[in-house]
Amino acid sequence: MSNLDPNLKKMGNYASIVLVVIGLCLIISEFFVHRHGEIALEDLPIFPVVYGFVASVFIVVVGIGLRVLLMRGEDYYD
Amino acid sequence: MTDLTPGLLMIIAAGAVPYLPHHFRQFFMLGAIVLSAFSLTAGAGVHWSIPVFGHDLILHHADHLTLPFGIIFHIAAVLNVIYGWHERKAMEHTAGLAYAGAAIAAVHAGDLVTLFIWWEATAVTSVFLILASATERANKAAMRYLLVQVASGVMLLAGAALYWRESGSWAFAAMELGSLGTWLIFLAFGIKAAFPLLNGWLQDAYPEATVIGTVMLSSFTTKLAIYAFARGFAGTEYLIWIGAAMTAFPVFFAVIENDLRRVLAYSLNNQLGFMIVAIGIGTELAINGAVAHAFAHIIYKALLFMSIGSVMYRVGTAKATELGGLYKSMPLTMVFCIIGAMSISAFPMFSGFTAKAVIMKAVGYEELIYVYLILLAASAGVLHHSGIKIPYFTFFSHDSGLRPKEAPINMLIAMGIASVLCIGIGVMPTQFYQILPYALDYQPYDASHIVGQFQLVIFAMLAFTFLMRFGFYPPEIRSTVLNTDWLYRKLAPWALLPVIKSGLAMAKAAETAVVSSAQSIMRMTKDMSNHPISGPVIPGPAAVVQVILLAMILAVVYAALG
Repeated sequence: MSNLDPNLKKMGNYASIVLVVIGLCLIISEFFVHRHGEIALEDLPIFPVVYGFVASVFIVVVGIGLRVLLMRGEDYYD
Repeated sequence: MTDLTPGLLMIIAAGAVPYLPHHFRQFFMLGAIVLSAFSLTAGAGVHWSIPVFGHDLILHHADHLTLPFGIIFHIAAVLNVIYGWHERKAMEHTAGLAYAGAAIAAVHAGDLVTLFIWWEATAVTSVFLILASATERANKAAMRYLLVQVASGVMLLAGAALYWRESGSWAFAAMELGSLGTWLIFLAFGIKAAFPLLNGWLQDAYPEATVIGTVMLSSFTTKLAIYAFARGFAGTEYLIWIGAAMTAFPVFFAVIENDLRRVLAYSLNNQLGFMIVAIGIGTELAINGAVAHAFAHIIYKALLFMSIGSVMYRVGTAKATELGGLYKSMPLTMVFCIIGAMSISAFPMFSGFTAKAVIMKAVGYEELIYVYLILLAASAGVLHHSGIKIPYFTFFSHDSGLRPKEAPINMLIAMGIASVLCIGIGVMPTQFYQILPYALDYQPYDASHIVGQFQLVIFAMLAFTFLMRFGFYPPEIRSTVLNTDWLYRKLAPWALLPVIKSGLAMAKAAETAVVSSAQSIMRMTKDMSNHPISGPVIPGPAAVVQVILLAMILAVVYAALG
């Protein structure tokens, strides 16, 4: 795919850096905010950090697996 | 006048819509919606009923549960009129207004028969929003949609009849699952709420509707089912697990789906799951959560469908493979899309956060640990496919080379209003919670909750970034992802076709046998009349046939008398 707009890639890089910085701040904030959840498990240190990341990766991995099983051509029903 | 069923005026007004000139028509529709909304001020109670066959059809019943749905359905109807302002053809406007009116009237039905009437009316009116696409693909999808919706209605009616026989009442109130009647009603609601395995129609039909049609469809049908469950089956434990499955499964499909309106249809399904879980719990806190989520969801889901619809209106496709890099051409649409995306992803300060927090609290309070963890993972999944995938593949990703104009002004206004509502609900939870069915003393904004939620969503976003950067994220591919509609679009024809074919073959064989035996009888009679055994020549075969018929009648009469 040709990148007609060179800014897109740059924007992507900036966005990634900003996200990483925010992520680090959020981990550090664990030391300052007494965080507690609705269930006991959630009270573990950086639980949402780990769970959010792992769940997302899990979903994508299962999605890739599902493609093998369920993906057909665009005109499958036609 | 407030005794009139809310929504009824809209249905009546829809009859005049095709005959009005374009701009006047839009004002006329807004007027009808505003007038209809006046009926919401009638307060709790039964305001209109008519006796039929010794029973009362309760056409207007209102209470703490109908009000929030009445309000949000009217808001959605107004947004739809504004969003569709540019459309000169009357079909979608007529259908859309009647459809919204039918959904509102259904919410105010006090008995199961009235509910059935409006339940079917939503199906019959909304199908035109799909037919308006006027493609063969859409026509077929529309017929499948109609079959499923009408099936749901028929089950509701059958269930209502059985329920009436069991209990002597057809009032629409809390029911206990157990008898065939209540199960049929439960299933009828389940079809419309897009339960797992019963969900195929939703992802099949919604993306085939017109640009405006999909936005209209996204607001009413499924949320009417949510309302129906909240009234009829609150606290039914099955719903907790059905809802949890609903939040989880569509997420995986949404990740690999290429059509972005279909991705949104999957995420709609996933959002319904949160509400169904809450209804299954059934406590006052949980019902508040379900209603809050339905309310917020209607707005941000419409907003997301509107933004993708605007893009589709401009470039003619909603496929991720064809889109990308539109942030410069359609910057306002992009901003509105991101507001919708942040709302559905439950970023603090957005409506999804204040609404979903109530459900999560209710689940946590009941100590449903596994359900809680499923919902939390599903929240990360929502962020993935609706929060990131939708805006990313449309406005960023790779440059598609498309340089469309910004969306029409009316679409921008509708998206702008929806965005303001999303943020308003997000920053003013106390005021928002006041419209909920039960008093709610809850403050979602404390440091702990804000940090926890940010951690969840930011690290889910980081996971996306990580997978994208290292090339693990599945690339968008032009494809069809099989869903449960496959069961009746492929499997059932495949399994039933031999049966139908052999049936047809047998019928054909029987027909041939009858025809050939008739022919041989005719031949015989001809022979007999031409070559009599004795006596004169019989004049023509008709006389022989008459003799045979007479003999048969005589035989039958003798047999009957004997």
